[in-house]
Amino acid sequence: MMSEDLIGRTVSRRGLLAATFAASGMLATLAGCSSGDSTDAATASDGSSKGTLKVAMELAYPPFETRDEQGEPTGISVTFMRDFGEAYGYDIQIENTAWDGLIPSLQTGAADCVISSMTITDEREEQVDFTDPYAVAQLAILANASSGVASIDDLNQEGKTVAVKTGSTGDVYATEHLTSATVMRLTDESACVTEVTQGRADGFLYDQLTIYRNQAANPDTTTAVYIPFQDPEYWGIAVANGNDALREELNAFIAEGKENGEFDRLTDQYLSEEHTAFEELGFRWFFDFDDSQEQANA
Amino acid sequence: MRNPLLADADGRARPIQAAVWYLVVIVLVVLFFWASLAMVGVALDFSFVARFQVRILDGLLLTLAISAGSLVLSLVIGLPVAVGQGSRVLPVRYLCDLYVKLVRGTPLLAQIYLFFYVVGTAWGVENRLVAGIVILSVFSGAYIAEIVRGSLSSLDAGQLEAARAVGFTRAQTMRYVVVPQLVSRTLPALTGQFASIVKDSSLLSVIAVVELTQTMREISATTFNLFGTYLFLAGLYLCLTLPIMFVSRAFERRLTYAH
Repeated sequence: MMSEDLIGRTVSRRGLLAATFAASGMLATLAGCSSGDSTDAATASDGSSKGTLKVAMELAYPPFETRDEQGEPTGISVTFMRDFGEAYGYDIQIENTAWDGLIPSLQTGAADCVISSMTITDEREEQVDFTDPYAVAQLAILANASSGVASIDDLNQEGKTVAVKTGSTGDVYATEHLTSATVMRLTDESACVTEVTQGRADGFLYDQLTIYRNQAANPDTTTAVYIPFQDPEYWGIAVANGNDALREELNAFIAEGKENGEFDRLTDQYLSEEHTAFEELGFRWFFDFDDSQEQANA
Repeated sequence: MRNPLLADADGRARPIQAAVWYLVVIVLVVLFFWASLAMVGVALDFSFVARFQVRILDGLLLTLAISAGSLVLSLVIGLPVAVGQGSRVLPVRYLCDLYVKLVRGTPLLAQIYLFFYVVGTAWGVENRLVAGIVILSVFSGAYIAEIVRGSLSSLDAGQLEAARAVGFTRAQTMRYVVVPQLVSRTLPALTGQFASIVKDSSLLSVIAVVELTQTMREISATTFNLFGTYLFLAGLYLCLTLPIMFVSRAFERRLTYAH
């Protein structure tokens, strides 16, 4: 009787505690979460778990950020962050966030870091802090097969239309360099590809992997065009301005990963076919860091 | 002494009472939003407005043009469909019925992509603006058809018999019995539908119609000023839709008969 009562009370108190936590969690999410939260999590303890690390990414770029058949987040970035969490004692919580909301999610504290195949740019660096590069990507053109586009210069002509995804580095590149062509900005990558396959646009400017894959899916209507002499795009993990503790841990993990074969394992797990194809095409591989090491040291 | 919090027994508020309490409600809502912004720690920055004023104005004008065009075209589609749903010719009736069900039962986003890239490409519709207006009109036409059909079927058959009994011709019955009631019952809802068209036109951004929302999305993508741009965007849409809603209310008051 007595013990039952005790148990019941303990359970109900625990339930109440859980409910309070859930409610405060919801409130924090509703309010966009205060910036103090992330520091609390980092300084909670130096033991086995330092708390939950909220990682924002847009689950729309396989195989880096995507979902499996059950809808669970998966991909290179997800595995990479889970490995990081294991090594540095964080519980990793993936927050699927639309691209436009990624940087704001850091500014409001709704996320602790962003890993979403995001290129390190000066404009973005004004808003957030980036880690050292963990991957490198370059742009390519998916050209309409009958458009006669065989180089980037063919595309930069009056009367040519270039499809880009709004806000992507392809958008930035096209806005800066393809001043003679008409730049058409779309929300969806698949819409950009459709524009090209239907001949409404002459070319789609995006990263080499997406271009390689879409060309393989539309071999009759499209060609893949390599762009020489471009500045490589370095992908970094973004953290809120001034969150140096987390940034340095991530930097250390990236540096270890380059030494201990973490990136080779990720390649074998997710991209072995593409790795071979890229080598045949002479494209630079995502985790080929020779340049980035030099840049990081410079 | 009347309670200043309450409306009169007939549901009306005195003008001063209405003004004061509306102001209080607005202040509360603004305060809530302001507090939320402060808690999130966001400093609003509207400096982009001056920098991009030409593009913003272009986007606004395009949104207005799309909305106006779609309003006219959706009436052209919706009115005959409403009549067609009651047609005795079965293929016409079922065609109208299927159209309304398909359009109302599917998301506008899916309709835009499917119409533009499948139907549009197949039939050579190259102009995005035209395609956008047609898609939005087809979408909105189904809702207008439902609004009109609803008020048509709410007309009491007894009224038509009464009109015949007093010797009205068909034309007179339409002019003095059917149309006045139809107008009074549909006009407020139709005006409300126009406000929806203005908002729904924002989805045409996905086929690169650079209207107001797409303009703001592009600005937000280059300035990373998500809160400033979308708050300003919301304000602009409110400037368009609030007057329309106000007109809709006014119609409702003017045209309400005691039945």
